[in-house]
Amino acid sequence: MIYLSMTLSKIFRYTLLAIFNALIVYAVPLALTFESWFFLSLILVIGIFVNIVYFTDRFHPMKWILPGMIFMLSFVVFPAAYNTYVSFTNWSTGHILTKTQAIGVLEDRVFTPDNQKGLEFEMYILQDLDLNFYYVANLDSENILFGKAVSDDEIFSTSYAIHEPSLFMNGEFSTPDGYYLLSGKEQIANSTTLQELSLVIDKNTRAQLYKISVFGASTGRLTSTSQLYKYDEMNDALFNNATNTLCPVVKDNFECEGKEIEPGWRVYVGGENYSKLFSSQRIRGPLGVVAKWTFQFALLSVIFSFAVGLLLSMILNKDGLKFQRIYRAVFILPYAIPAFVSALVWKGLLNPDYGVINSWLAPLYEMLDIEPVKWLKTKESARSAVILVNTWLGFPYMFLITTGALQSIPKELIEAAKVDGATGIQSFWRITFPLLMVSISPLLIGSFAFNFNNFTLIFLLSGGGPPIIGSEVSVGWTDILISFTYKLAISGGRGNLFGLASSVTIIIFALVLIISAISFRYTKRLERIYGNI
Amino acid sequence: METSKFFNWVKEYGWRHLIALMFATFAVYPILFVATNSIADFANLTNSKLIPDGLTLKHYKLLSSDPLVPYFKWLYNTYKVALIAAFFNVFLGTLAAYAFSRLQFKGRRASLLTLVIVQMFPSFLAFVAIYLLFFQISDIAPFMGLGTHIGLILVYLGGSIGFNSWLIKGFMDTISPSLDEAAKVDGATDFQIFRKIIAPLSRPILVVIFVITFIGIYSDFILAAIFLKDKNLWTVAVGINTVFIDDFNADWGVIAASSVIAATPIAVLFIFFQKQITGGLTAGSVKG
Repeated sequence: MIYLSMTLSKIFRYTLLAIFNALIVYAVPLALTFESWFFLSLILVIGIFVNIVYFTDRFHPMKWILPGMIFMLSFVVFPAAYNTYVSFTNWSTGHILTKTQAIGVLEDRVFTPDNQKGLEFEMYILQDLDLNFYYVANLDSENILFGKAVSDDEIFSTSYAIHEPSLFMNGEFSTPDGYYLLSGKEQIANSTTLQELSLVIDKNTRAQLYKISVFGASTGRLTSTSQLYKYDEMNDALFNNATNTLCPVVKDNFECEGKEIEPGWRVYVGGENYSKLFSSQRIRGPLGVVAKWTFQFALLSVIFSFAVGLLLSMILNKDGLKFQRIYRAVFILPYAIPAFVSALVWKGLLNPDYGVINSWLAPLYEMLDIEPVKWLKTKESARSAVILVNTWLGFPYMFLITTGALQSIPKELIEAAKVDGATGIQSFWRITFPLLMVSISPLLIGSFAFNFNNFTLIFLLSGGGPPIIGSEVSVGWTDILISFTYKLAISGGRGNLFGLASSVTIIIFALVLIISAISFRYTKRLERIYGNI
Repeated sequence: METSKFFNWVKEYGWRHLIALMFATFAVYPILFVATNSIADFANLTNSKLIPDGLTLKHYKLLSSDPLVPYFKWLYNTYKVALIAAFFNVFLGTLAAYAFSRLQFKGRRASLLTLVIVQMFPSFLAFVAIYLLFFQISDIAPFMGLGTHIGLILVYLGGSIGFNSWLIKGFMDTISPSLDEAAKVDGATDFQIFRKIIAPLSRPILVVIFVITFIGIYSDFILAAIFLKDKNLWTVAVGINTVFIDDFNADWGVIAASSVIAATPIAVLFIFFQKQITGGLTAGSVKG
């Protein structure tokens, strides 16, 4: 029986390893084609390591740890390192590709030499349900060509037009099912798009819309195309066949007669992103605002939720008080709701025009004769709202931990102070509070660190807004560093500034490291950990 | 006599009730408001009240019938991703924890310390790198690239496995070593000790860690938001934000209904496991 189970587990193990190795073998050539050196090294290191560990018995404990470790290394440690690398590159919209990829894209571009524009014929423009354009070129009865109209970038990847005699029954054009025939007016309305499209007939020949006719069929024209750019390896430059000029490399782009050719490629730029953060006035200003607010936001959130939580646990810390359990259950509720739901709900409540908060405050506004507060729309109101909501989200946790800590403080201490004539307030500030802080402060620092990166709340409640006017990058008054990074990289409306965003992330890393170091030092947790091992 | 007794009560207890009630209102009002609005007959935000005039399920029906808002698809996606990721997370974490707790090897202290240090940095901090990483993985292995659930699950797996194995290891340390030593004398292998003794005895902590990880992944917004572009693959957190934001006033009833559906299971789980989750053991790991 034992033998059987051993062989079974062996079969299981070797099957898994075989699958794993098959994946590695599959991935390596792909990584080579895409020139992802990072992946190649990652895949190889992991592959070799796994095989050594599971085929030999020398690293027995690693057999247990390795699966988890691979995920942690690949998706936590490696991204952190990769992030550092990205922060030293110009990786951003227009510079996404590697140089080889960019050259590949550019060499696929075509142009039509002037002397090759010729033959004219009838042309019909169709549109399918997905609003893609299709052309029908009626060259002659043997060549009634039908196919999707594509832009220049897709010319090499699309299939050639096919002969469809069925489109002309009895010499009349009939629209095929599932397509819509564009009238002349509609063609004019779409003319900017249509100008860019062509029907690919063969490798070098295309049909393009030439003249739009409002009555009857429009006219198409055959064009032959040639490659626009050819990469010249000797000079490391691009040769433009249309203008017969050489376009040299200027940093991360080819430049033809002083004009940058898109796309460029990503290159190592050293500390350029960092110097941009600190020297470019239109980035440094907002970054300073964001960094300062990040600290204020995290600190105020902790202070307010701690104050409320402590107040409530002090109030309930009284023998003989009725309804204690009900109060406790209710105070925990905000903590039980997922933060993304709470943030959204509060956004509704705070809505300046329809929200409950303003309808509550309406009598107050009238009494004081002031304008209703435009919650989340002005700097001050947005900042107060964010703190208010975070207090709501955070106080239950503070309530829970302070309740626990209060109960662990020996009652005799307070009693003794009372005997010595201390007032309630004195014994609170001199005895209860200091003792409380000993056990609570590491948790407060943890909470500070959490709120320092509380992306969900900021992004869903205020979206970081209202926007700071006059900044080069998209940023708002309630943005914290992590949401600022998000806007730079993903959603800022100024393209994807991955390199710049990564450099901000490095700053966050450094700050988190400092916060953690303080926490470790302050609580000597490290020693406890050591003792624990 | 009666009045002085009352004043005594106020001095001792009454003011406590007053403040407690105030904050109880603060805590519970938004939740109640949304819960009642989700079944209120008139729920655009302007007309909304805490106590609705008439009850209806129309918002829930609307939620399930709008083809542009595949809410229940999102819900399904969320549960799928969170359950799978949490399961493997706990499974792999347990394996690692066993080695850290029971096997002697070089570099054990150092690896444990590394775990603690790595876990100081939430994994979403490097989201730019994760995005670019999976952007490139899409070329090589599209099935696990950007925009796929598999890719997202992989990221979630890496995110908390270190912290989890640390916690599980702490619990395993409290299981008496005499148990596995006796088994070893009887000729049991490591795997048998793990399967027959340590893993079953660790079940309480494994359940708690599973729940915590599940809640954490369920509530994640940032990684899911950068990862999932296709509307049909979104999780609830991403979907709820992008769609309902359009018209807060008119859609309020539906927003309330969707919030109730998204929040209730998590709230119930949380309250059920509240003691263990906040028992100091995991303080601050779910939310702060």
